[in-house]
This record gives sequence, structure tokens and C-alpha cells, in this order.
Amino acid sequence: MAAKVQVRNLRKRYGPVEAVRGVTFDIQDGEIFGLLGPNGAGKTTTLECVIGLREPDGGTIEVCGIDARARPRDVKQRIGAALQSTALQDKITPREALVLFGSFYAQRAAPETLLERFSLREKADATFDTLSGGQRQRLALALAFVNKPDLVFLDEPTSGLDPQARRELHGEIIKMRDDGHTVLLTTHYMDEAQTLCDRIAIVNHGEVIASGTPEALTSRSSSRQLVTVVASRPLAAATFETLGDVDDLVVDGERARFHAAAPTRTVPLLLARLEQRGIELVELHVQKATLEDVFIELTAAERSE
Amino acid sequence: MNAFLQQLRMSLRLYFRNPMALIYGYAFPAIFLIAFWVLYRYDRVPLIRHMGELLTVTVLGGACFGLPTTLVSERERGVWKRIRLAPVSAISVVSSTIAARYVLLVVGGLLQVGLAMAFGMPFPRHPIELLIAFTAVSVAFLGLGLVIATLADNVPAVQALGQCIFLPMLIIGGVAVPLASLPDWAQHLSAFFPGRYAVEAIQATVNGSGLQATRFALLALVTIGAAGALAGGRLFRWDAQQRFMSRGGKGWVAVALAAWIAVGVAAEGRGRIATTSTVAEALPTPPPAVTPTDVVASAAGPVPTVAPPVPTGPIPPAVPAATPETGPRTTQPRAIPPEGASPMAHLPVPQAGSTAAPLASPPEARTSVAAPAPAPTGPSTWQAVAMKNIEEDILFNRVPPDGGVVIPVASADRQPDPDVQADLDELSAALPDWAPGKVADPVQRVRNLLYVPSVVDVFQLPTEPFVPLLVFDQIQASVPKDDLIKILYWIAVHADEGDDSAIAALQPLGVRQGSVDREEVRGRSGAYAVKLLGRITGKRPGN
Repeated sequence: MAAKVQVRNLRKRYGPVEAVRGVTFDIQDGEIFGLLGPNGAGKTTTLECVIGLREPDGGTIEVCGIDARARPRDVKQRIGAALQSTALQDKITPREALVLFGSFYAQRAAPETLLERFSLREKADATFDTLSGGQRQRLALALAFVNKPDLVFLDEPTSGLDPQARRELHGEIIKMRDDGHTVLLTTHYMDEAQTLCDRIAIVNHGEVIASGTPEALTSRSSSRQLVTVVASRPLAAATFETLGDVDDLVVDGERARFHAAAPTRTVPLLLARLEQRGIELVELHVQKATLEDVFIELTAAERSE
Repeated sequence: MNAFLQQLRMSLRLYFRNPMALIYGYAFPAIFLIAFWVLYRYDRVPLIRHMGELLTVTVLGGACFGLPTTLVSERERGVWKRIRLAPVSAISVVSSTIAARYVLLVVGGLLQVGLAMAFGMPFPRHPIELLIAFTAVSVAFLGLGLVIATLADNVPAVQALGQCIFLPMLIIGGVAVPLASLPDWAQHLSAFFPGRYAVEAIQATVNGSGLQATRFALLALVTIGAAGALAGGRLFRWDAQQRFMSRGGKGWVAVALAAWIAVGVAAEGRGRIATTSTVAEALPTPPPAVTPTDVVASAAGPVPTVAPPVPTGPIPPAVPAATPETGPRTTQPRAIPPEGASPMAHLPVPQAGSTAAPLASPPEARTSVAAPAPAPTGPSTWQAVAMKNIEEDILFNRVPPDGGVVIPVASADRQPDPDVQADLDELSAALPDWAPGKVADPVQRVRNLLYVPSVVDVFQLPTEPFVPLLVFDQIQASVPKDDLIKILYWIAVHADEGDDSAIAALQPLGVRQGSVDREEVRGRSGAYAVKLLGRITGKRPGN
């Protein structure tokens, strides 16, 4: 099946700074795709090129089979987008905004449905300047859906929201996929990418440095796993140091944690040693690498090149 | 199209939700109108001569500040960025805002016309043409506003740029200050600003002969507006960070300016600049050089105590292109040769250079509240006045020029507007029967008659340059010339004496009752006495 979005070798330069240096990725129909990277990595520029806010210097962009650089307005008919912050006129109400923006499209959703879906009923006739940050963000999402889009683009959708609002928004985004929308989001939160995205492209310094499912990225990573131990008695560093496969050891009373490259071999050895010394085990965790680990590893590798 | 209409509707709705915008857009023009109404309260037809100025100021404010403020603040906040995510063109966004602004301007204009009519102004003479003229003015200034919006990075920059255009246009562009009271250089400069064409076009449709006569102004406005729209379109930026690096960049501003220059040059070429050729210029006078042909005799000495403004003349269209007052001219040619039997049998050939009479010069007295100091060696009665007194005491060249703002006298070939003519007809019909003009004492009679143009001058009525001619004729018809010369001298030197109750008795002549500074009127009557004296004796023929 053809990809919903195909970006090939995208380039964009601002004066002397090359913000995007040959980015390539595909987004499949019905998935949540994440562009993950630190601030300034080029995620937003990439997204703005795809949705037609910026004119790229090079590369090809195809959205829903349409050449986005040649026919940006056709693409805009098919997509919805919410930017990092959405500004509207102070005195416009959510209902009016939905009607107004609906009039820009050939196909439109009923304002009532959107107000309901994004819990804006109560604030439907309040002016924009009286809405809270979370309400504004929900209105931005509602506006992104005003044309019943195939594809939704969300730029840093949760930045600046409190944890509660953030959790709610995560639910919304998963619901979008369940309703059959394809979603591209950018984020600099590793955990967000890990919970939400079906596939991820990690972007740094304007380039994609890795991509794949979160699982594939973390497992493919050479990184060691994190082992955390809580014992009944204070632990000695010597207990661990002789195990061989131990890195970044931290011992703090009854607690200790370290990285191990082959936990399946190292952990049984550790347990045997504890038993030998008559120390009881209270907790034991073995965690796979997180995206954060992957990211740090990848960027470290890039730096050392 | 649906998108355009929705945006238009929303722009209007949002405007009416913004109290500051309402105050700026509607309350200010209303206040302005009331201020004009008070300022020109003695006009027989309220406000009708000022609709051009009032409506132009309204459009100017809405277009130079209102439009770019809306556009720039929406751009600055990021509203446009959100709109740009949708498949709408920049043209649709901008044109809907401009169209909304035009609707607001029309509403404001109607409000002003309605308010003026509530104050007694008649319905505009050419209503459809008024709408056309108003639209052309809107086009010119909205194009200008668009250029401001594209140039300014933020709202304070809009204010700064707007002021740079707004204030000069008001003051020397012929909008708030009538062209006739501006110095020559400013009149030439004003030809390069759209303001004067706006006033001219609108005024012609309100009480003039319609657009037929102001096609040049209309063309000028549309040209300036089209150039502004073109430049604004090329300079358009979705966000302020987007610099003008692309094609031509700020060079497009030159297109907008080129239109102004082209219009100004065309106007110069057509000789359409000056409204009156002699303009009051208060130059400090070096030792007075008394030459009767010194047409543009400077108004020396203290500046009149009244605020200078606003002479009245009709606005440009009716004014002949050529400079009308180029040579000495007398309206009473018979006054030049002295009559043999006169006590002042030999009128001396006017001398060049001062007669070195540093005596208190009567004309100056008119400008101060204090009574003029009579000449110490002067005659004790009017009958005792001799030619010598006139020569020594009257400094004819220190009276303001006839074409000026105070003490004006129209040149004989200057034609009044039709509505001004109607007022003059009424006055000239009533003047011979006006009781204060028929009192037995000839001195008082002349005083009373001289009060007529003086009051009209203080009130700044549109008839002011023409009334003196009528009154001069009436005076000359009712007092023998030899006596009149002495009486005029007497009044000039003793303007503060005699009965002044006639000042408040002008209603039969069609001049409205109004409070007026009597000292001021007396002062001006003294100055008119000097002017008439100069004409009769040939020492200061009309110019």
C-alpha cells in the first residue's frame, strides 16, 4: 500500500543555517507517526514544509498521493493541523471560529459535532480571550478536524499543558487513530513518543538519525538494560563489581542500580551471590532501554564522529 | 466566495465587539464634526462647506490607522498563520479585511452626513456622486493603509508610519487646514498628497457642481489607490519574520510613491495648485516702503488677536487656474484723481521710502484690545483733518493684503460660489434700507457700515471677501467724497470711539446674531476704513 505521506530528501535553509538537511520518511495509512527530537532539531520546520506553511529548498513531498509542493492547496483540503500555539482574534468564539474555518473547505464537519467531541460545548460562545490554555488547545484540535481530514498534523501538541490536560490529549490522539485518521506529531518528550506513536523518526540537527517502531528502536539499540535491586540489608559495591557485566553502578544503602549488556546471564549470577551472602531480595527490575537511552546513545555517537 | 463572505462577516462582527475600535471609528468623527459645527457656527448653512474635510478625515483615520492596525495585529498574533493552514489565498484574507473596512467607512460617512443634517445641513446635492467620490477616496487611502500594513513589523510601527502620513496631510495637505490659508510652498506640496483631492472630490458632490468638475481629483485618487494596492500586494508578508528578500523587495514602495509624484506633477502641469495667489504671509516689515502699487504689502506688526484660521473661500474647483490678482486694480477708479476743490487739493505723488512718521499707526490698533493712541498732533475734529494728517499718520502698507485671511477684500474679477452669491444678493438688497446705515451723523453712519464687513470677517463667513466691496459702494454713495476722506481718517485713528450698537443689529442683512468681541470688530472696522481710504485717495488701490 502506498504511503500516506512520502518525504524524500527534504531541505530547508534559513539564511546561513540549514535547518533541515535531507530528511526522508514515510507515513503509513492509519498510524501515529512521531518526529522526535530536541528543540531546534528541525521537526517543526519539516512539518511546516509538509503542510505548506514553508517553501522547502529541495526534496519531494507527497501527501495522499498529491505532490504537495506543486499543489499545496489540494493538500490543504485533505489535511488538518494544530500548531504549537494557535492564535485567533480575541473576540471570536469557538463556534464562530469553526463556522469561519469550515467555510474555507470543500468538505466540512458540523460545528456542533466538533464542539461536542472536543468538550467545548460550554465554552462554545465564550470569546477566545477568556479560554484557558487547555480549552484553546482543544479548540485548535477541533479546528484541525473541521474539514474531516484524512491526515492530522500536530506540532508539539502537549507542550505547555499541565499533566492532567496532557493525559486527556493523549487519549484524544489515540482516539483519532482509532477513528481511522493518520496522525503525524512532533514532540520532544520521549515518553510521549513511546506511548503514542506506532512509528518514530528521531531527528537531530536537521537529519533523521534513526526510525522505526519504538520497540524496534529500543531493541535494536546496542544499549544495555537497567537493573535495579532492593535488598533487605545494605549492599556493598564489591558484590557487583566482580560480576563483570556491570556499568554505571550506583549503590545507595539497600538500593543499587546498574546497566548490564546481558542481563539474562548477569542477573542469575547476582541472585546466586546475594543468596550466598544471606541477603534477601526485596525488589528486582530489569528494564529495556528507553527511547531516551536510544536517543542519548545515538546523539553521542553522532558527536563522536 | 463563501470563504470571502464569511471572513467579511466575521471581520465586521469582531469590529463591533471591540469598543476601542468603535470609539476610534465612530465617536471621533462625530466629535470632529461637532467641533467643526461649533467652530463655524456662523455659517448660514451648517457644515455644508466642510463635509469634504470631515469625511476625508474619517476615511484617512480608518484607512491609515484602522486597517493596518487590524492587519498587523492579526499577523503579529499568529492569526494569519492559522488561516494559512487552510486552502485560502492571501488575497482572500486581505481583500475581505479591506472590504470590511470599506463597509465601516461608509457607515461612518453616513453617520457623519446624518449628524450634519441633524444640525441643519441640507441633503447633499449629488448623493450618488458623493458615494462615488467617497469610494474613490476610500480606494486611495485603503491602498495607502495596505502599504503601511505590509511595511510595518508591528502595531507601534503602524502608528509611527501612519502619523507620518496623517499629520502632514491634515496640516499642509489641505485636509484640516484649508488650502487658501496655506503659504504658496505648502499649496504646491499639497498637490503631491492625496488629501486635497479627497476634499475636493467630496466637496464638489456635497454643495458644488458634482464630479464633472473634479475628474482630475477622482483620477488622482484612483491612481494613488491602485498603486498602493499593487505595491501592497507585492509587499505582502504572511508573517513579519519573512523579510523582503524576494524579488524587488521594498522597491515596490517606490511604485506607491511614484503615483503620488505623478499626480503632483500632473497637477502642477495643469496649473491647478494655488487657490488664491496672494496668501497672507506675515512678514516682518522693514522700514515701510510706501508705494501704491505695492500689491503684496506685508501685514506688519502684531498678529491679529483672533485665531488665524479658516478663510472661507470655496474649495478649489471653482477657482480659476490662473493667478487672479497679479496687478494693481482699483474698484473705484474714480477715486484716484483728487478733486480740485478739496482742502487737500494736491494729492502728493506717492513717495518711495517712509515718510518717517513714527506716530502710532492706527491700523495697528485694530489688533489690540487697548485703545489706539490718537496722534498727539492730530486734528481735534473730523472736519479739521487735512491731507497732511493722512500722509503722516496712515501707514497704508501696513494693512493686511486684500487676498489674506484677515480684512480680506475680493478682487473685482473673483466670482463667488452660487450659494455665497445668494447671501450677497440678500445683503446688497437690504443694505440701502439698513437703519444704522442711514443715521444722520455721517461719521456714525460710516462707522456702522464698516462694522458690516468687520463682523463678517470675524465670523469668517464665506462672504467675507465680497462684503467689503458692497459696503464700500454704499458708503461712497451716501457720503460726499471730501467728507468721506476725512471721516475715514477719523475712524481709522479713532476706531474705539462712537456707538457700536450696530454690531449687534446685523440680522436684517442676513448675518446671524452671535457673540463677538466688539473691540475686535472695531479694530477691523478701522482697518477697513484704511483700505477704503487708500482706494479713494489712490494711496492704496485695491489689489
